[in-house]
Amino acid sequence: MRGNLLYLDKESSLHQLHPLSKLAFTFFFLICAAALPGLDWLLAAYFFLLLPLAGWGQVTAPFLRSSWAVITPFVISLSLIQGFFTGGETVLFSLGRFAFTFEGWLAGLTVAARILVALGGALLLTLTTRPDALMQALTQRGLPNSLAYIVLSSIQIFPRFQDRAQLILQAQQARGLETGGNLVRRLKLLVPLSGPLILSSIVDVEERAMALEARGFSRPGRKTSLLVLRDSQAQRLLRFVLLLLGLGLITLRVWTLFQ
Amino acid sequence: MNNFRKEFTTYSIALIAVAIAINIGGGQIPRLVGLPLYLDSIGTVLVGVLVGPWAGALTGFLSNVIWTLTGLYPQAIAWAGVAAIIGALAGIFGQAGWFQQWWKAAVGGLITGVVAAILSAPIAAYVFGGVTGSAGTDAVVAAFRASGLDALFSNVAQGTMSDPLDKMITFLVVWAVLLALPQRLKARSRGE
Amino acid sequence: MISLQDFSYRYPGQQHFALQQLNLEIKAGQFCGFIGANGAGKSTLCYALSGFAPHFFRGEVRGRAWLGKKNISDLSLADLAGEVGLVFQNAFNQISGARFTVRGEIAFGLENLGLARRRIVTRVDEVLALMDLADLADRSPYELSGGQQQRVAIASILAMQPKVLVLDEPVSQLDPHGTQAVFKIIEMISQRGDTTVVLVEHKLEWLAAYADRVIVLDHGRLVMDGTARAVLASADLVKLGIGRTLYSEAADLARNKKLVSAPSHLPVTLNQAQALFQ
Repeated sequence: MRGNLLYLDKESSLHQLHPLSKLAFTFFFLICAAALPGLDWLLAAYFFLLLPLAGWGQVTAPFLRSSWAVITPFVISLSLIQGFFTGGETVLFSLGRFAFTFEGWLAGLTVAARILVALGGALLLTLTTRPDALMQALTQRGLPNSLAYIVLSSIQIFPRFQDRAQLILQAQQARGLETGGNLVRRLKLLVPLSGPLILSSIVDVEERAMALEARGFSRPGRKTSLLVLRDSQAQRLLRFVLLLLGLGLITLRVWTLFQ
Repeated sequence: MNNFRKEFTTYSIALIAVAIAINIGGGQIPRLVGLPLYLDSIGTVLVGVLVGPWAGALTGFLSNVIWTLTGLYPQAIAWAGVAAIIGALAGIFGQAGWFQQWWKAAVGGLITGVVAAILSAPIAAYVFGGVTGSAGTDAVVAAFRASGLDALFSNVAQGTMSDPLDKMITFLVVWAVLLALPQRLKARSRGE
Repeated sequence: MISLQDFSYRYPGQQHFALQQLNLEIKAGQFCGFIGANGAGKSTLCYALSGFAPHFFRGEVRGRAWLGKKNISDLSLADLAGEVGLVFQNAFNQISGARFTVRGEIAFGLENLGLARRRIVTRVDEVLALMDLADLADRSPYELSGGQQQRVAIASILAMQPKVLVLDEPVSQLDPHGTQAVFKIIEMISQRGDTTVVLVEHKLEWLAAYADRVIVLDHGRLVMDGTARAVLASADLVKLGIGRTLYSEAADLARNKKLVSAPSHLPVTLNQAQALFQ
């Protein structure tokens, strides 16, 4: 895959799982993120469930890199904002009239951990699942083909827009466009820069739609598939178990909230 | 309210895909120019105005889902609902004719931005603990918290500092693009 | 195979008819070239033959267009998808983006047609071999050059085995290498004889060498229809804003300078030119 996706092509067992199984894991970890009661449980989920799964998928290093790249700013911001502004008894230090409490800090870290677990679930999916396989699995279960088309084609063409944006900027600069200046000036620059890009893309859409029609895109009736996805009884069972566990966690959490 | 079915022709579906690519791929242009904005809903607003509210909503929603799938901005999916509403609002303003004059488009953008800020705040407050993850905006949030506002209102306050401006500019850029767009393509987008 | 009876077409919102009272019949397996000045209606004619006019562009149709015994106006674009294939200039726009590999992209149309997977695999492999794309099969179509992308586009349509293949200036945006590759493929397809080929093209020398028949359009009307040799040698082509083959130009120049005796037909191919100049 090109650089516009996280997906890494490996021969791991996790890669070979049916996309829906991996999606089930993602949702399971999303539920964990929301429903697990405390920091200890959340960190356990990350280190003892997510990380081993990443290892099984041979994507440990990218998994760690991505999780921490995203979560670190959150850890900092959450520690600071919740540490100072969420109430608590144990004051660790003070800044003027603002007290940094342990309870607040813990609350902040817990939120960060929730984000980390949810993020981990999403990363597992994106690192080990090819989008076309995922879309294929979903269309088999009823997702409209047009939605699958939208997801896959926009993933493939957005890098081109990034490139063209760069080119247009360079071309304009070569013509003497100054990118500095005051705010209003810079705002006014937006139109000559994004305008041509957007306009030419819209004009192209007509031909793209024609090409789709030429390939029978609007044909009603069942569509077949070149790609074959392998599923198994074991995986179906796994998905069912994950569903039950997820529901159980939710029930438990809701129940404890009402205690 | 436009007919739901009528909004999804092969052409509009192809347009939605391109619009999402514009959102994700073109959103960096302001930063290249030195503006502290990230115009990531130009495509959404465009589809909303050209095709209709439902198509606009789908564009916004899918944009965020896909953005998460690419791993470029994993938090994106949390805002999928808000993005959908931005698209729907753009469609409603479009049908009301607000994109025919630049100042009406600007006002429409402001209103949409305010709505977006209000709807985003609970997500920021409850899912992300009141924090956005970026140093600049979090400093602003901290300042609001320090002044006594609670988590939710701090996020609303921070949002209203950037969202309305961001969306107003987005609506204006779309207005400008619509001026230059051939009438024929506008008609085709409407399904005629 | 495909015919037009008194066919006229007007785009929506326009006063004049882009195509006016066209009468033509193209038999199965023929290779027919369309030439004409810009704005003559060549692209519109391609759209009429493939059903995009009127089904995609709306607008008004008068007269009839037939695919075999079926009226094209009665068939939807979805129905026409496996029957008449359209290839146009911009290769990038014809890559659907729905699939991540060249193989997948070629299979896309067949999946939409609901073909059984076994048959899809066979057809895709056949077309990959035919179009010399086999070693690109697992690459992303977006990593390819313009010429390669255009070959993928043609392959994707060809895999659907249309009865008629309509190509609207398929090489205009390609470099010489890409152009050569595509022309070779078109030549091969027409020689196989199982597909009717309609080609809009400016390279008159090439049409002279390979087309059975050339039709000339001017302002939406059919003004000439005959063998490639006869039509392309005609002096009227210059008046119609089309120009002539290199060979005709050279021969005309030579004739004017009294270097050769006046031939009955100006040469349009290399062989003819050689014959004249010897």
